[in-house]
Amino acid sequence: MAFSADAAAFQVQERLKGLYRLVHDIEEERIRSEHNLNNITKAHEKINQEEKVSPYYQQKLKGLYSAAVADAEQEEELIRSALTKVNEIRSIRNERRIQARNAGNKETIRRGALMKMLQSSAQTLPLWVGKLGEKAPALCGAVPAEPTYIAKMGDMVAALVKGAEEEENWILAEVVQFNAATNKYEVDDIDEEQKDRHILSRRRVVPLPLMRANPETDPHALFPKGSIVMALYPQTTCFYKAIVNQLPTSSTEEYEVLFEDPSYADGYSPPLTVAQRYVISIKDKKGKSQT
Amino acid sequence: MSQLSGSTSEVGPSSSQSDDGTSRIPPQPPPPSSSGVSSSGSAAAADQSSRQSNLQRIQQRKQQVYNWPHNKKLLKLAIYSACQADECKCNGWKTPIPPAKSPRVEVSQPLASFTDPCRSCTHVLETHVSHLAPLSEEEVNRLLGMVVDVENIFMSMHREEDADTKRVYYYLFKLLRKCILTMTRPTIEGPLGQPPFERPSIAKAITNFVLYKFGHLAQREWQTMYDLAKMFLHCLNHWNFETPSARRHVTAEEVSAYKINYTRWLVFCHVPAFCDSLPHFETTLVFGRTLLRAVFRSVYRQLMDKCHNERDRMPPEKRVLVLTHFPRFLSLLEEEIYAQSSPIWDPEFKQVPPSHLQASLETKLPAASVTTASSLRRSGEFEKLTVPPSDKDNFTTVNLSPGFGKKQLREGGTASLGEKRAASVIPEGPASCRQSDAKKRRLVPEPMEDLPEATVVEIIATIDSPPNMVGPEAVFPENAPRDETAKQEELRGIISFHVVGNSLTSAVSKQTMLWLIGLQNVFSHQLPRMPKEYISRLVFDPKHKTLALIKDNRPIGGICFRTFMTQGFTEIVFCAVTSNEQVKGYGTHLMNHLKDYHIGHNIYHFLTFADEFAIGYFKKQGFSKDIKLARTIYQGFIKDYEGATLMHCELDPRIVYTEFIAVVRKQKEVVKKLIEMRQQEVQKVHPGLTCFREGVRGIPVESIPGIRETGWRPVARATRVARVTEECNDPDTLLTTLKNVLTTVKNHTAAWPFLKPVDKNEVPDYYDHIKYPMDLKTMGDRLKARYYTTRRLFIADMTRIFSNCRLYNSPDTEYYRCANALEKYFQTRMRELGLWDK
Repeated sequence: MAFSADAAAFQVQERLKGLYRLVHDIEEERIRSEHNLNNITKAHEKINQEEKVSPYYQQKLKGLYSAAVADAEQEEELIRSALTKVNEIRSIRNERRIQARNAGNKETIRRGALMKMLQSSAQTLPLWVGKLGEKAPALCGAVPAEPTYIAKMGDMVAALVKGAEEEENWILAEVVQFNAATNKYEVDDIDEEQKDRHILSRRRVVPLPLMRANPETDPHALFPKGSIVMALYPQTTCFYKAIVNQLPTSSTEEYEVLFEDPSYADGYSPPLTVAQRYVISIKDKKGKSQT
Repeated sequence: MSQLSGSTSEVGPSSSQSDDGTSRIPPQPPPPSSSGVSSSGSAAAADQSSRQSNLQRIQQRKQQVYNWPHNKKLLKLAIYSACQADECKCNGWKTPIPPAKSPRVEVSQPLASFTDPCRSCTHVLETHVSHLAPLSEEEVNRLLGMVVDVENIFMSMHREEDADTKRVYYYLFKLLRKCILTMTRPTIEGPLGQPPFERPSIAKAITNFVLYKFGHLAQREWQTMYDLAKMFLHCLNHWNFETPSARRHVTAEEVSAYKINYTRWLVFCHVPAFCDSLPHFETTLVFGRTLLRAVFRSVYRQLMDKCHNERDRMPPEKRVLVLTHFPRFLSLLEEEIYAQSSPIWDPEFKQVPPSHLQASLETKLPAASVTTASSLRRSGEFEKLTVPPSDKDNFTTVNLSPGFGKKQLREGGTASLGEKRAASVIPEGPASCRQSDAKKRRLVPEPMEDLPEATVVEIIATIDSPPNMVGPEAVFPENAPRDETAKQEELRGIISFHVVGNSLTSAVSKQTMLWLIGLQNVFSHQLPRMPKEYISRLVFDPKHKTLALIKDNRPIGGICFRTFMTQGFTEIVFCAVTSNEQVKGYGTHLMNHLKDYHIGHNIYHFLTFADEFAIGYFKKQGFSKDIKLARTIYQGFIKDYEGATLMHCELDPRIVYTEFIAVVRKQKEVVKKLIEMRQQEVQKVHPGLTCFREGVRGIPVESIPGIRETGWRPVARATRVARVTEECNDPDTLLTTLKNVLTTVKNHTAAWPFLKPVDKNEVPDYYDHIKYPMDLKTMGDRLKARYYTTRRLFIADMTRIFSNCRLYNSPDTEYYRCANALEKYFQTRMRELGLWDK
């Protein structure tokens, strides 16, 4: 979908209004659930007093529980639709950004601001909240993409590009388009100062996670401690080889990794933190260390 | 501020409001004159106001005289001007009818006209003023100002009873008369010498005294002492000292020493205070220990008497200050003044004030000791737009900073830099600050073009209002100032800045040592091309200091520097931020702190050898490859690095660099708002111009419909930048700039047709068509010969090249295209440099 600036603003505004309503609905729903949960507690107290579950209470509890489940589902529904709205706003903004860039009026941002945006976009990456028993999908946390997956326009990827002196680096890049005929990606270096556009084969492009994994619910969707990964060196736009030193314990925490770095006496950097979005598994050993 | 002043009875008379068109100096008797004792003590209460009103009256009198019609001015000046008739020696026109009994013949001439003959030389009045005709109005006014002063001095002379003082007045009277005759400016020369007469000055010594005795106090108490010092200096500056004859002297030496100083004071400080034709100096800035020793005890006594006499009229908080603290202050001061040796008189006195005071010392004490006018000048243009300076807090840019919390946050901190200025200057929260801004504004005379205060207040309120602070911009502040994050973090105590260094003579704390080691690690890791040993040597060298950026009690960056006090510059040796903390604005904030630190130590130049990776950083921090410092100043001092570029940065002491970006941002916001306001006033859509479709190539800008309503003015008034360059009377700067432009133009791909004069053999008819040939080589020669004394000459020649080309060649030629392309490039270059008008 294409927007003019005004249309985009209008669309965002509409969604914000919806979001506002939803937040109120969620609160109402929560109060209603609360009421039912209280009833359940009371019922249990009664049962405890009577020291036996009479068929009446059996029946009543059953009713209460199904009501509570329905309430919870209702609430979940609302929260999910709120999240959808948030996502829609994100994608509208992203769409606008891509459009603006294609139109050629790419606003130049300073490196400091760029770093901050990368940081905050990683922090606000949608969190995967699966239904019961549902497994984390591809591109959530450490779960890799399907082999046939094609990254979409505007998606962030790690791209293995040749530098000026034939050395190769994994850089942070953005997908411009995928040419199905040649089976090649066209990507832009995220660092505008480089101003480089690269055409790369698929194996040189690794899509970054599109969702964060919650360590409390989906621990399997994280890299285990000690695994060798590629991670974005803090305050740069390059991925370097690193060892996972510590896993995030909550959805907002970051990995703690040790970068391979020969300029340190023991060959590794001090522990540095990197957001889930910027930690990926890469099979080859092309990564270079920070100097 | 001190309302307390010394005995300040006025010597100058006050002028009447007589509007009879003449120069009657009124016989109204002024207060008794300068014999110290009589005019001090109990009589002093009204002195301040009478002095003020006397000064005002003199000024009013001058203004009145300046507004006279020109002829009347000449009539007046005739009395003081030499007759221009051949061989006539008469040096002032005198009325033919001697007034009956007036003792002041020359000041009362109600009926004069240009044809009246002079009583002494018989030539008509006109001959006395013929030489004044070519003078500018300004010059005539200057002479008239001297006339007013002469008459005032004459009055004072007549009233003066002390013989010595009378003689001085007579001397000044003659001096000024002579200057009117010869149309020169008065300069006082001779055995008295020139100010300053002694070093260090009284003001400096008092500053030292406050530092020396009270430097350890907490901020509030220190402020009290500082206010007292200011008050004392103010008193001294307006004090009427005793005549030498009224004093009891112990030794003959003392007598003669005091006589000299007294005369100097009369001539350079006292009389010029009301006769502004004479160069005026502040007592406390030009005199030193000798005078203070001579007068202190009597000043002390009289001040105390005065304080006691006035106690009932003071507000209670002032009473405490004046009756409790002031005597203690003065008696401590007395000890230092009469001590055999006291550090306060040491010309090299260096006691680094506690950090929370440094800034206020640097910015405030000087203000206390210089005249109001110069303190206003000192605070400069920089913060004018936002908050005009006031006497109370001279440096006000901090009011714009987001860092209002600084004071509370760091009051207990040790030597951290962050609080420097803010802590001692910001007295209250943002809201009240704004109110006081409004108050302060009124104290300052507003220039004609200045905005109404209400508008400014309104704009500031809009900018600061919370709705402006939220929204997507707050989440993605892409355009936030580079140092914004760093400043926020400093405010929240996440990071801090400290100047640390090793010492061989005094103990170095363990903390400092650990930081130095940390800094050495940061430098050697970030600067892999520097030998580690070399880094260690300099970081631990006691002559080098390092401004450390501390996070989680570990250095994550720093700037190692060495100050050459005698040379007035600092060399920046290493500068680095650890890699995973880069691009967060720390480097900028570090450098700004370093600048503020150096301004606090009166060092205004940075030099550094930047390697290829560092040049960009230093440029962003205001460094330039253009070294403005004389080579002799740094040669042999600074370390020379091969393959590195020497860069220089000059500091402006009026700027608080850590607030600079925020201030400029705010100024920009204000200007933007003003433009918006203006746009709303004049919003109007004009139909587009059609003349171009009809083949018109260009029209004058001013004929575009509506352009004048937008505030556009024809180029008579150049843009601000351009004005600066134009007015820049440094021909060397212009030369360098133009040379750069010429070189880049020559190197442009479209420049090839214009590099040399057109060869007559190749183009035989060229010079038939082109009467004024011009080319880039000729321009280069002219530049070398310093022909381009203004940019306009340069632009004219360059434009000539292009117009010649377009005249001779047809539009479809390569030459023609080159001319257009190069012209466009040239204009862009000039615009970039602010050398272009449109």
